[in-house]
Order: sequence, then structure tokens, then C-alpha cells
Amino acid sequence: MRTLYVQGDSLLHRLSPRLKLLLLAGASVALFVVSSLPLLGIMAVCSAGLYAMLGLSLRDSWQRLRPILLTIVIVALFTLLVDTPVQAATVLLRLTSLMLLAAAITATTGIGAFIDEITWLALPLERLGLMKASDIGLSVGLVIRFVPEVLLRYISIRDAHYARGLKPRPLTLAVPMIILTLRSADEIAAAIDARGLRGQK
Amino acid sequence: MVTRDLVLAALFAAIIIVLGLLPSIMLGFIPVPITAQSLGVMLAGVVLGAKRGMIAVLLVLLIAAIGMPVLSGGRGGLAVFAAPTTGYLIGWVAAAFVTGFLCERLVNREQAGLVQGVSFFIAALIGGVVVLYAFGITYLALVTGMGLSKAFLGSLAFIPGDVLKAVVAALAGRAVMAGYPLLPQRA
Repeated sequence: MRTLYVQGDSLLHRLSPRLKLLLLAGASVALFVVSSLPLLGIMAVCSAGLYAMLGLSLRDSWQRLRPILLTIVIVALFTLLVDTPVQAATVLLRLTSLMLLAAAITATTGIGAFIDEITWLALPLERLGLMKASDIGLSVGLVIRFVPEVLLRYISIRDAHYARGLKPRPLTLAVPMIILTLRSADEIAAAIDARGLRGQK
Repeated sequence: MVTRDLVLAALFAAIIIVLGLLPSIMLGFIPVPITAQSLGVMLAGVVLGAKRGMIAVLLVLLIAAIGMPVLSGGRGGLAVFAAPTTGYLIGWVAAAFVTGFLCERLVNREQAGLVQGVSFFIAALIGGVVVLYAFGITYLALVTGMGLSKAFLGSLAFIPGDVLKAVVAALAGRAVMAGYPLLPQRA
């Protein structure tokens, strides 16, 4: 799995992740408060300018944004069908700006920086005794570590179907995949505890 | 939370991500492609119960948010939360929780197979369809200003596929309960 982070040294790369996320939150509120079309148009152009500062090639950007842009366009077209053209244009500009800003932050913030930020945000919850903030980083690491393994398991179960001349079906694929995967939970948990990764209590 | 529960949630998050990597399929009688990823959300509740299932879904969304393309169709990054369909992603969390909550209360190992299957189906239907669409449609209506009834109309085409997934989730839930029971929650 490749992350969507892009190496670079632009202004956005150098800003602290906390500031970037706060600015994004502020921008999303502003985008939904503003309802005048010219103003939204200016905001969309600014967002596009900010995204262009990353220096991604057009093809690369299209690859990244296509699925979300497609949903936005479909919904805007549906709005045009059931509502006014002004409303459809508002939806299109608003969501496209927000998408560009969010994508720009994703491209300029590494996974480690995000995890640090989320762990910091979870500290108040830790003080309340609801969770351990460091568990977030640990479990994200676990998930990323086990995706290739689960995928491999899926492929071998599918191949086992073919080898026996059976047609792979959702049910006969999912059930062995779930049971085989979850059965390893005890071993992994024991390994984590043996290494004291969650702190000794 | 004991380490085993954390690991179970993380492993299930990996399963949901893998289900999202599979190509979506077209069924003749439903006009839109269906993906296996939202099946994974129902399964999280059905197999792990409310708390662990919800954490598994939260992990998937978190990993998507920090920039890994783990949602179906290779979507990822903060931008996926800027789409008009973001309500469905938020709804996943509630869907897994409600599905799991109902399963923990409706299903136990002593019941006959048919009762278990029907209970799992009801839980997956209420959590994974009713609750999920309540979130998705409300968000869609708010973001586009098109109103609830029109947003509902726009989402209608996806409902048959999700009801079908609830059937698969119920059957899988029963099979997993027979093979490796995790419900009712031990922790």
C-alpha cells in the first residue's frame, strides 16, 4: 500500500500539522457559511492554486482526485435535476474546494505526523480513563502490518476453491478468511504483552 | 481494554480493508455496482459485537484519513471526508455499533440455527441499512440542500444491494459463531 504523502519542501510541507488541520477546519466552516456564488468561485480558485503549489503532475492529481470528484459531479448533476442550477453550482464549488484543500493537506503531511497529532488529541480521553492514547499508534501499525497477510489468505482460499473446481462465493470466501485471521489474535496479543508494548500494569 | 480485544479489532480492520480491495460486482437486477467493503462493516458488528466492531471501523476510517488509500476504489486521504457521500462513512461507525449491540442481545449459542440466522439478519438490517442510510441521507440532504425526500430518492438504488449484504452477513455470522465464537463479548 502506498501512502498519498508526497515528499517535498513547499510552504504546506513546512507548516505544522496542527495548524494545517485547524486551517482546514476553519476553511470548511467558511465554505459552508458562504453562499454567494462569486465568493465561492474565488475560494475554489484559491484552493486550486494551493493544490497546484504542490507541483503534482496533472495525471497524478487526476488519479488521486478522480473517485471523489466523480461523486461530487454526480451529486451536482442530480441536484441540477431536482433543484435549481444555482444550488447545483454551489454544491459543486463548495465540495470541490474542500476536496482540494483536504487533498493538499494529505499530500503534505506524513502518516507519523498525523498519528502524533491524533495521539495528542486523545490525551484528554486518556486522563478521563477512557482509553490509552498510545494504543492508537499501535493499532494503526497492526492494521497496516496485517493487510498484506489477510490479502494473501484471501488469495489462497480463492485458489483452494479453483483447485477443487468450486466457484468462489462471498460466503465460502469470507467465513474461512475471518476465522483464520481472528484465530491468530491470541498469539499476537500474547506477543504484544510479552514485549510490554502497552506498558506494564 | 485488554490487548486481545485491541488485536481483534485491528485484525478485523485489516479484513475490511482487504474486502475494499476486491473489485466491485454488477448484479443484473440492481443498477449500481456493489462493493464488499460495507459488507465488512456489517460483519464487524456481527462477529465482534458493538465495542470491538465499532473500533475496527474507526481504525479503517482513521487510516483512510491519514492518507492510505484503503477505502473501496482506492479512495483515501482527508478528501474522502469532503465528498457528498461522507455521511455513509460516518454512518459506518454507528452501523457497526448498532449491528453489534443488537447481535449481543439477540443471539446466543444455545439458540437453534434458524433463530440465530434470523436474529443476525435483523441486526445487520437495522444497523447496516436503516441506521447507515439515516446518516448517509441526512448528510447528503444537508450538504446539497436538496431535502430529505430527494436525497432518499437518490440513494434508493443502493438499498437492494445492502439488503443482500445483510443476508450474507447473517449467514457468515452464523458460520463464524459455529467455528470461532466471539459473541457474547467476554471482556
